[in-house]
Amino acid sequence: MANCLTAPRRPLLALPFLLPSPYECVALGLRRNQSSYRRTKQRLRVKPDASFGSSLSHPQEDHIIYNPPSSAPSVYHTPAKFLPSDDIRRNLRAASVNGNNAESLPPAVRATTEKKYHLNPSDIREIRRLRATDPMTWSRLKLAKRFDCSPTFIALVCEASPQKKEIQKRVLEAVQSRWGSKRRMAREDRQLRKEAWGRDQ
Amino acid sequence: MKRLQLQRWSSSVLSAQARTGGRLQHRLYNGIRHQSTASPAAPTANDQLIEEEPLAPSIHPPNSRQSKYQLPSPPVEAARESAKLAALHARLYLPSRLPLETLARSLVDASADPNPKFNNESLATLGHDLLTHYTSEYLICTYPRLPLTVIFAAMYAYVGPKTLAAMAREWGVESAAAPGGEVDPGYLQFKRIPPGADLKPVTGTARPHEDQAHWRKSITSSVVYDNEFGDPVKGPKNPSEQSKQDAQNIKGVTAEQANATFVRAVMGAIYLHAGRPAAKRFFEQHFLSRHLNISDLFNFSQPARDLSRLCARENFEQPVARIISETGRKSRHPVFVVGIYSGQDKLGEGAGASLLEARSRAAVAALKGWYLYSPLNVRVPSSMEEEGAAPWKPVHVDLGEVIV
Repeated sequence: MANCLTAPRRPLLALPFLLPSPYECVALGLRRNQSSYRRTKQRLRVKPDASFGSSLSHPQEDHIIYNPPSSAPSVYHTPAKFLPSDDIRRNLRAASVNGNNAESLPPAVRATTEKKYHLNPSDIREIRRLRATDPMTWSRLKLAKRFDCSPTFIALVCEASPQKKEIQKRVLEAVQSRWGSKRRMAREDRQLRKEAWGRDQ
Repeated sequence: MKRLQLQRWSSSVLSAQARTGGRLQHRLYNGIRHQSTASPAAPTANDQLIEEEPLAPSIHPPNSRQSKYQLPSPPVEAARESAKLAALHARLYLPSRLPLETLARSLVDASADPNPKFNNESLATLGHDLLTHYTSEYLICTYPRLPLTVIFAAMYAYVGPKTLAAMAREWGVESAAAPGGEVDPGYLQFKRIPPGADLKPVTGTARPHEDQAHWRKSITSSVVYDNEFGDPVKGPKNPSEQSKQDAQNIKGVTAEQANATFVRAVMGAIYLHAGRPAAKRFFEQHFLSRHLNISDLFNFSQPARDLSRLCARENFEQPVARIISETGRKSRHPVFVVGIYSGQDKLGEGAGASLLEARSRAAVAALKGWYLYSPLNVRVPSSMEEEGAAPWKPVHVDLGEVIV
């Protein structure tokens, strides 16, 4: 209430920015203060980086700074290893990233295992015999542990009998029948998300 | 019978340039051209017309108002009076050598006028061949490593019927409610399929054991038996069965089919009247200029396995997934950035909420990097048809897609 009363009584001269000055009228659109200029200059002061180009050794030369925002690399940018031998881009890239070879590679997701190739045909016959005689005991995992190979290799070598497959199917159905709607939907969503990985979505 | 009179009459009116019928009389029985070099059989419809000709001497010339209603499609001279047709010609920036009469003819579907001299079927056959030829050579030369399924999908996206129908809509082509001689020739004329009619899947293909629906169809067999888009197509037929097909055709076509046929016919008409360079320019301006992100057409089910097989085939070191960076591993929303390396070289990079997802996405990126390789300075074989073209250098031919 008090503000409403006092506001009209304030003299216009107390607010000089409201008065049009002859100088400012001309350059109203181009007005620029010290602070914004300094800020602009500050933004342009970028720390030099190796990705800016090869002209770090000759800073006096004119050069283009290439500093893209961090993002996933484009799939249209073919890796140098995938270029055919007659493509000139292969030599160009090899020349540009020559010095980076010395740096160490990032850690692997999983420790890589050397393939041993230690099983002979008699072992494979034994695997098949065990799986055929007692499929309940000798599952893929147990056979893999016994013969020191991967379960994938067991699946390559032999197949479960139809009876075992039928039993396993019924076990799975029994487990899934206990799922409620929430768990079932979550499992389905997970499967859909996994399929979306292959479509890159 | 009246059509015969019209034909004789119109041939004297039309300029020699506008008459395309002479060059296009070979009406092809199928929309596709098979790998055999045998020329299509001469149409029997023409013979019938010639036989019927002396039977109709007393028909009036069809310049009277009444006879227009008896024609199946607009008379040829109506093309010069149609504002819609002239507007379409100008809007598409068609070459002036393409007369309005031919543009009007390309708007008449075979279901509206079964006479091959007045409908657009022959023009559409030529246009379809040109479109698929130009598109396939562009795709194969630009991306020589694309898998066949992706090539089929890209062909469908560039010159498939849905795209062509959308283009006809963008060009502002409207369709007539029903075809007839009194209709403005600027409308697309076709007989609509009755509502509720079921569109049966294509039968009578050249594929052996076609009735075995559950048998696996390999992609490679699609090259031999199917059309340019990998869809089943009717096999070659003898002329006696052609009349049956015509009877089916009279039942009507969908609006999408009619629009697609029109766009193909325009392409064929430009090729015939204005020549190869104009047709190529029209193709580049209207078809190739449409943006298609080919990397979206891929779908991998087992990317890591495919990449491993690829590296084994090309004698690269086995791919190893490495963690480039990660954040919040023990939080609710972790982010992992995983790169796939073969020796010292990074093949692909992907980010995901789990290590498995990031690894899978990185493998997808690496496979796309392989398949989407594009050589520099791509030239297509049809560029050699130009005057003074540089000597041909062989394009990059790849080993083919990864087979697991």
